[in-house]
Amino acid sequence: MLRQVMVLAGALVVATNAGLAFAANPDTGPGCGLGKLAWADFKNQKNIGPQVLMATTNGTFASGTFGISSGTSGCTNDGQVWADQKVTMFALLNFENLTQEMAQGKGEHLVSLASLMGVPEDQHGAFLAMAQERYTSLMQAGENSSSALVKALNDAIAKNPVLAQVSYR
Amino acid sequence: MTPSPKILSSRKSPTADDLRKGFSREAEALCLFSPSQYIVKLFVATLVWYLSFVACGGAQEPPKNSYADELIIQASHLKLSEEREWRLLLHYRANLFEGYTSEQDEPGFFMSPEGKTDPAAELAATLRQFFSTELVGRSKQPAQCAFVARYHWLKDRLSFDDTKLPPVQCERFDRWFAEFDTEAISLIFPSAFMNNPASMFGHTFLRLDQRGQTEQTRILAYTINFAADVPQGRNLDFAIRGIFGGYRGYFSTVPYYIKVLEYRDIENRDIWEYRLTFTQDQIRRLLMHAWEMGNASFDYFFFKENCSYHLLALLEYADPALHLTDQFLFWTVPADTVRLITKQPGLVGDIAYRPSRGTLIRRKREYLSPPEQALVRRFVGDVSLVRSSEELRSLPVNRQAFVLDVVSDYLRYKGESDKSEQSPYREQNRTVLAARSSLRIPSEDLVIRPFAKQPEIGHSTSRASLGGGWRNDDTFEELTVRVGYHDLLDPEPGYTPGAQIEIGSVSLRHYNRADQTRVERATVLNILSLSPIDSLFMAPSWKVNLGMQTIRYGGCQLCSNWNFNTGVGASAETNLLRREVYFAFAEADANYSQAFDESHRIGGGGTAGMLADLTERWRILLSTSYLRYALGDKSDDFRWSVGQRYTLAQNWALRLEYNHRDHDNDVLFTVQAFF
Repeated sequence: MLRQVMVLAGALVVATNAGLAFAANPDTGPGCGLGKLAWADFKNQKNIGPQVLMATTNGTFASGTFGISSGTSGCTNDGQVWADQKVTMFALLNFENLTQEMAQGKGEHLVSLASLMGVPEDQHGAFLAMAQERYTSLMQAGENSSSALVKALNDAIAKNPVLAQVSYR
Repeated sequence: MTPSPKILSSRKSPTADDLRKGFSREAEALCLFSPSQYIVKLFVATLVWYLSFVACGGAQEPPKNSYADELIIQASHLKLSEEREWRLLLHYRANLFEGYTSEQDEPGFFMSPEGKTDPAAELAATLRQFFSTELVGRSKQPAQCAFVARYHWLKDRLSFDDTKLPPVQCERFDRWFAEFDTEAISLIFPSAFMNNPASMFGHTFLRLDQRGQTEQTRILAYTINFAADVPQGRNLDFAIRGIFGGYRGYFSTVPYYIKVLEYRDIENRDIWEYRLTFTQDQIRRLLMHAWEMGNASFDYFFFKENCSYHLLALLEYADPALHLTDQFLFWTVPADTVRLITKQPGLVGDIAYRPSRGTLIRRKREYLSPPEQALVRRFVGDVSLVRSSEELRSLPVNRQAFVLDVVSDYLRYKGESDKSEQSPYREQNRTVLAARSSLRIPSEDLVIRPFAKQPEIGHSTSRASLGGGWRNDDTFEELTVRVGYHDLLDPEPGYTPGAQIEIGSVSLRHYNRADQTRVERATVLNILSLSPIDSLFMAPSWKVNLGMQTIRYGGCQLCSNWNFNTGVGASAETNLLRREVYFAFAEADANYSQAFDESHRIGGGGTAGMLADLTERWRILLSTSYLRYALGDKSDDFRWSVGQRYTLAQNWALRLEYNHRDHDNDVLFTVQAFF
C-alpha cells in the first residue's frame, strides 16, 4: 500500500510540507488529491484506504473535495469525481472490500467496479468468476497500487475468452 | 398609478446596492441613479432621466435596468418575498417577535447587505443581480447560475421575458445535474454509534439514486450530506464548539461508497435506506437548491441546526407542501426526522436495510452448525490452519466457503475495531481469502435480518411520566419530564439494544404526609452501553452518570445528593425465554450531600444485574450494587432494584419500579408518554 500511495501521489510536491498544504488548500492540483493526502499523513500506515476515508468524510476534505459547486480539485469537479479518476479512486478506497469480494466471487463493490470499467451487466457473472480465478495475481498487482489493480483487471479481461469478446468502453 | 413609498424605497436601495457592487460602466450607474433625482427635482430630473436613458444605450438594446425595476415592482405587488418558497430558498425563520432572520451565515449568499434579515430587500437585490454577469457567491458564478433555484422560481412567478436579461449559460450546473442523472432520492439513516459521542443519535443524509443503477451498483450513487467542517487535530473544545455553533457546516456530495465504508465497515453501524417518492420536477427543484447551497454555510449546532435539520430544508423546497423544519424547536434528533418523514403520507416508498459487519457476522453465525462454529473459532485463533485443515476439507465445498467467509468477515471487523492491530488482521485475512478463492464458487445469497428494528417504529425522543407510590411510611405523586432519549427499560424497537442515553431529566415529587414538594431526581447525563461478549465479540460495557437523587441517610429523611458514577464491565446474553442480558460493572462513585460528614463521600464498588424480555411488551430489569466509601463520610451502601415495563403502544408504556437502600424503600408506578 505504501508504494500504491507513492504511485498515486505521482509527481506531487515533496511530503514535508504537504500536510500543511492540504489543510490550507484542499485543491491539490494535478493527480488526485487523495494520494497526496495519504502521502502526507499516513506514510507509515499500511492500510491507506480507510485512513484517507476518515479524512475525506470528517475534515476539511469533505467540503473541499466534494463540496457542491466548489470548483475543480485534483479529484473532483464541482464535487463530482472526474471521469478519469472514478475507477482508480473507487479501487483505492474500496481495496479491502474488493479483495474480499474477488476471493468470494461475489459482491457489490466488485460489480460496481465492473460497471465503472464499462463491463456490460450481462458479463458481470463472467467478470466475478474471472476475478476469483485470478485472485492471487490480481492481489499482487493491487498491493502495488489501485491503478495497477485496474490495469491487471483490464489485462485479465482482454485474455478472458468470454469477456474479451465484449467490446466495452 | 401612484407608486407606494415601499416601491420607491425598493427602487432606491437596490440602486445603492449595485453601486456598492461596483458596476463597471459609469453610464449604467448614471442610468440607475436617475429615478432618485426624479423624486428630488421632478421636472429637471425627468429631462435628465430621459437623456441618460438615450445615452445609456437606448439605441443598442432595451434598457435593462428599467426592466429590473419593473420586475421588482411586480414582485412587490405580488408580495413574493412573503411567500413560503422564498423563505425556504433563503432559509428564513420567523423571529420570536417580528421579522425574519436567515439561518444561513455566509455573506456571499445574500445579494443585499440586509439580506440576512430583510427578505424583500434580498428579493429585489437578487432580481437586479440577475441583470449582471458579475461572478457572485463562493461558487463564483453569475447570479442566474449561482442561485439557479431562485432564478427559476422568480422566472416562473414573474414570467420573465428572457430576451431582456443578459444571456447566461449555466454550463457548470447543467453538467453537474446531468452527471447525477437522478432517478430518485433516498433518505439514508446510519443508526446510532455508542462509541462516538458525535454519532450517538444517528445521522441522516440524502442519496441521489442514478438512473440505471441496480441494487448491486447502488454504492456508486452520490449523496448530499451536511456536516460540520471540523479541522484535523481536533481538541477538547471539539464538543463545546460542536454544540454551540463554533463550527461551520457545509453541504457536500460524497460518493455513497465512502459513506458505506465509513458507517458500515469502520463504525459498524446498520444503515436504513428510505426511497422517497419525489417526482422528477421535485427532484430538479431539490438539486437546484442543493446547487445554491454550494454558496452557503451554516453555523453548526449539534442539537438543533445539525445534519438532519438542514436536509429537511432541502426536502421542503422540493415539495413546499411538506412542513418539516418547523416541527423542531430545540433539538433535531436524526431518528425523529426519519419518523417525521415516514409519517408524511405517500412520501416514502421502498425501505432497504444494509447490515453492519457486526450484524452480518452474528446473523451468519446462526447458520453455522456447532462443528462449523468450532472451526471458525479455531481459524480465528490461527489462520494458518485454513491451509491444512482436514476438517474443513471434509465439509461440502459450499460450507467450506461459508465458514471461510465468516472468518474473513470477522478478521475485517477486528481490523477496524482494533486499529493498532490493523496490519496483522489484514495479513491474516489475505491467507483466508487465498484459500477462499481456490474454492472457485461464489458465496451464496443470504437474507440478513437486523437486530435493531427500523427507527420509525421507535418511540419518540422525549418522555413525560406521571404516577405515584410509597416511600417508607409516606405516599407521593410524581411527575417526570425527560428531554431524551432512551433507557434500558424503554420500549426497544427502533433503538440499538443495550444502548442507554438519558439527557436532561427532572422528577418533581409531592410527599403527602411530609407535605413537601421537591425535586426528587435529576439527570444531567446517564449513558450505559451493554455489549454482550461471546466467543467472537469482546467489547467492554461501560457507563457514566451525572445526576441527583433524594436519599435517606443518617438523621436526614429527604436529602438531595449529587452523584457522579462511572464504571467498566462486561455483559453476556442468553436466549432462554426471549432474550436475557446479564451485566457486571466495577465502578467509581462520588457523592455530594449535606447528609454526609464533610458533605461528601467518594468510593468504589460494583454493580451486577440482568434484564429480560418476558414477552414482546414486558421487560424486567434487576440490579444490585455494593459501594464502599473511603473518602469523606466513611461508609458503605448496599442497594438493589427491580424495574418492570409494559409497552401499551409505540409511544405509551407502564412502569413499576422498586428501589431498596438501607432503611429506605421506594415503590413507584407510572404511566409514560413519549412525544
